[in-house]
Amino acid sequence: MEIIEKIKTNKSIDNQTEIQKICLDKLQSSPLPNPRSEQWRLSNKSKLSNFLDYSVNENYSKFDTPYPKNSQSTVRLIIGENCQIKLIEKNYSIQQLSEDELHKYIKEQISFFNQNEHWSDLLNLSLSCKNNILGLKINGSKIPPIEIFSHASSNSLNAKTLIIFLENNCSVDLLQVNLCEDNSSLSQSTFFCLEENSSLNHGVVSYGVNKSNLLNSLNVIQQKNSEYNLGSLHFKFNYARFEIRIKQSEGNAKTNIKGMQITKKDEQISTYTKIDFDGPNGFLDQINKSLADDKSHAIFEGSIIVPKIAQKTDASQLSRNLLLSNLAQIDTKPQLEIIADDVKCKHGATISQLNEEELFYMRTRGITLTEANKLQLSSYFQEIIAFIPVSKDRWDLLDKLLNEN
Amino acid sequence: MGNENLVKDVVKEPYKYGFVTDIETEKIEKGLNEDIIKLISQKKEEPKFLLDFRLKAFKKWQRMSEPDWAGLGYKKIDYQDIIYYSAPKQKDKISSLDEVDPKLLETFDKLGIPLTEQKKLTNVAVDAVFDSVSIATTFREELAEHGVIFCSISEAVKNHPDLIEKYLGTVVPASDNYFAALNSAVFSDGSFVYIPKGVTCPMDLSSYFRINSGDSGQFERTLIIAEESSSVSYLEGCTAPMFDTNTLHAAVVELIALDDASIKYSTVQNWYAGDEEGIGGIFNFVTKRGKCLGKRSKISWSQVETGSAITWKYPSCLLLGEESVGEFYSVALTNNLQQADTGTKMIHIGPKTKSTIISKGISAGNSKNSYRGLVKMGTKATGSRNYSQCDSMLIGDQASANTFPYIKSQQPNSEIEHEASTCRISEDQLFYLQSRGIEFEEAVSMMVSGFCRDVFNQLPMEFAAEADKLLALKLEGSVG
Amino acid sequence: MQSKMKESDPILEVENLSASTDNLPILKGVSLTVYPGEIHAIMGRNGCGKSTLSKIIAGDPSYNITKGDIKFLGENINSLEPEERSQSGIFLGFQYPIEIPGVSNLEFLRVSTNARRKFLNKEELDTFDFEELVKEKLEIVKMDHAFLSRSVNQGFSGGEKKRNEILQMALLEPKIAILDETDSGLDIDALRIVASGIKKISNAQTGIILITHYQRLLDEIKPNYVHVMSNGQIIKTGESDLALELDKKGYEWTDNFIKET
Repeated sequence: MEIIEKIKTNKSIDNQTEIQKICLDKLQSSPLPNPRSEQWRLSNKSKLSNFLDYSVNENYSKFDTPYPKNSQSTVRLIIGENCQIKLIEKNYSIQQLSEDELHKYIKEQISFFNQNEHWSDLLNLSLSCKNNILGLKINGSKIPPIEIFSHASSNSLNAKTLIIFLENNCSVDLLQVNLCEDNSSLSQSTFFCLEENSSLNHGVVSYGVNKSNLLNSLNVIQQKNSEYNLGSLHFKFNYARFEIRIKQSEGNAKTNIKGMQITKKDEQISTYTKIDFDGPNGFLDQINKSLADDKSHAIFEGSIIVPKIAQKTDASQLSRNLLLSNLAQIDTKPQLEIIADDVKCKHGATISQLNEEELFYMRTRGITLTEANKLQLSSYFQEIIAFIPVSKDRWDLLDKLLNEN
Repeated sequence: MGNENLVKDVVKEPYKYGFVTDIETEKIEKGLNEDIIKLISQKKEEPKFLLDFRLKAFKKWQRMSEPDWAGLGYKKIDYQDIIYYSAPKQKDKISSLDEVDPKLLETFDKLGIPLTEQKKLTNVAVDAVFDSVSIATTFREELAEHGVIFCSISEAVKNHPDLIEKYLGTVVPASDNYFAALNSAVFSDGSFVYIPKGVTCPMDLSSYFRINSGDSGQFERTLIIAEESSSVSYLEGCTAPMFDTNTLHAAVVELIALDDASIKYSTVQNWYAGDEEGIGGIFNFVTKRGKCLGKRSKISWSQVETGSAITWKYPSCLLLGEESVGEFYSVALTNNLQQADTGTKMIHIGPKTKSTIISKGISAGNSKNSYRGLVKMGTKATGSRNYSQCDSMLIGDQASANTFPYIKSQQPNSEIEHEASTCRISEDQLFYLQSRGIEFEEAVSMMVSGFCRDVFNQLPMEFAAEADKLLALKLEGSVG
Repeated sequence: MQSKMKESDPILEVENLSASTDNLPILKGVSLTVYPGEIHAIMGRNGCGKSTLSKIIAGDPSYNITKGDIKFLGENINSLEPEERSQSGIFLGFQYPIEIPGVSNLEFLRVSTNARRKFLNKEELDTFDFEELVKEKLEIVKMDHAFLSRSVNQGFSGGEKKRNEILQMALLEPKIAILDETDSGLDIDALRIVASGIKKISNAQTGIILITHYQRLLDEIKPNYVHVMSNGQIIKTGESDLALELDKKGYEWTDNFIKET
């Protein structure tokens, strides 16, 4: 089936932007990514195909950010809402990229895309209209924390794109929140470019209701001496896929990732990460946690690529998984590909259930099984949540995970 | 002192098994079709069920395509340019070893595997396979006293067709993969072992595979059956002459362990690896799998892989029986342009099953060494455990080491733990050894063998010493 | 004095208890009765079943009771959950206290204490009031306030873990405390702290079972009864001098009892 047919849009070819045309053209050959390719092999095909069942929504539908008390100092943007921003202060500036800059950058990115690997981005850019693309360049110091929302409204397919240039020497805390209503699909593609000596504390919190779907693709280029810290949390999705591609373009950069996905009922959430070290002295510390309950399926696939040029890379990747039900499933595949010889790389993976000895210990202290479970889970969650920047306390994330979910 | 000199001597030696035995051989024409398969079967005077097995496998093979997922770069194999049956000409019926062509005995002598009554190894029974056929099996009478059957698989087909029909292809079905299907269609010889109930095999059993001719492929098939409460240790060694063409070796090994039985299978693989430019060498595409069918049964694989241009091999365990145990201990060393893609699959099906994986990969030169493994906990594998450790050592900045573990669990009451690390030989350690007067290359081989200690400890005595020597030999000129 | 104790009802009655794990019998008919105010010591070689007995009384789900009963304050508790036993006043001091990374010690102690208080129909304490209470109890085990902000037992030294156990006992105020080798691995100062902690907590209404290898804890806390266990059974019961004799003659001496019985 042709992707054009599969995608329910009212837009005629004539109304499409050049980028949309290029991307649609590339997608023609595979309406859905090739399930035989390694990256998509474990993806639940029918769930993925559901993703495109809704008609494309390009309009901004009224959306109330769920968490009030937007503190004075936080910059809050909602992609798709008329979020013109031009903040030029004494110490810093946050400005929108011009249409030309955006166009040029996206076109360049597309030229590097590989059909299967970047299927989510191709889909995103073929659907994302001008209003739903937010491009920012940030520079200066003492920049206030930023919150950026992407939202998918019920019974529709929404595509949002975020592009941020972090200029030399600046340092930002940024929380990205992806919210999906019932029966909705969100395609979120994010492109970050961290210039020299910049640092970004990035939080990604994504959650849905029932039957919410998410394709969340994150592409980060790190120039030298940059530091990128990512704390991410995905839960409550019928189908969600979080792709992280990080390239340390000249090495000499630091990357810390702490991510978590929680699946219940018959949900499927997967995380794919690919870390490229294209220069020496790179550093990576990554931990990914999954928790799978009921009949759900959690997937983690990570790859670390250390070519010859990346001497003295220090990379570690851990996959920790909790399997809580007989019918749930966890797949994990941490991979190392190394050519340089003077490197320190390690990875590890474990799958188990909650520790029985710890449970018994707590129960002998009068703590009920349910409470003991909660205590264990909250410590399991806490490590990740603590890494998510920007007023995370206001978000009651732990509470959400333990009680609502 | 002796040991040190040995290492030094060996380091200077080139591939010492690279000679060709000049012997008259009977070869069938090149190519693969139903007639060729019928011809092989006919030559071996096989019963109908086996010919049917071969033909069915061939049909399946024709419908399959050669795997390319391992990312191994090699020139496409022309399966019509291979000779599928090649055997040294001998008298029709050999009643004793004395009638074996002296040239063959001499060949095995040179390989360090003397077969004659006077010289044969005292503690190991050997089945010597030369190209497509088994030449001789030592200690047969002694083993027979214990009820142990150790013979070539061709003989087993004649003398124990019931066992062959019952077990052949039950662990590795012909349809399992491309090379297993090919082997099932054309396998020429190999070893057969049967250990009866309650018997501990009185000595180690060993097969020695020798590829002699350059244009024939070797497709041996090994089947080991350990009945209830029996145990056996089996060793496998391989060498081949140096040719500038690639020779295909596509073996299938099937192990079956019943209640309380244990099989230990050790391999030292030293097929010709090709020269420094990557010309020639064996393509070693092997399917090895054991089925722990019985309760508390145990299958343990240990391997030292140093040869072959390309190795593609995943000795695996299907853990069906309650409390059965699977183990995999591996050292894979690659140098020059060698590629090794090896690992294991531990499939936990029964409850309380346990598996351990220890893999050490050493890559030097421009070689590529990958660990690829699967650990799976099925829905009924309650109380099961796996521990895996995969370490890589890189020597020089052109070599690559990859780790692709794949872990899958559908059973919450089970535990899987995987650890992997990559390291190089530390300069501090090298300096320390050198400052104690140890030569550079020797220091390196000491450290490499230290890196592999966990695995060497699992090998039978003679093999462990040989493995150490082999590593030193292979590393020659790769450092500095 | 003894007869006076026995005027009241027993706290704990273990009656002909047999238990197994993974179909392996560990306890083979153990009987033991503890009255209020009594201190019992259970001694024996490693693997004799002492620790198992304590875990079964606390309700460890990894053991199965195959025969016999455990009664607490006259009620059969064989099928009670571990938390119900704890809430009703049974305390087990672990030989190897479990480390629980990520779970704050303070939070753990508070939830645990409130579970017991709720059972006793006492008001549950908020963080503030609990801190007050815990401060007072920290004195008993001479622990620093900083221990509270760490994860449960994580990175604690052997002595610190044992003191944390005694702290929990002090907070929970149990009816019966079973202390499994609380003395092992402690230097003499830590041993004194632990012993004085136990003394402070014990009174005429509580019972204590000390499981130990050594005489030195019994020098500090004099037991009313000493039981010697071997191969899943109590093979001899005596008064505190039995421990002294055992210390002198070693466990080989007890091998004779087995032959006799």
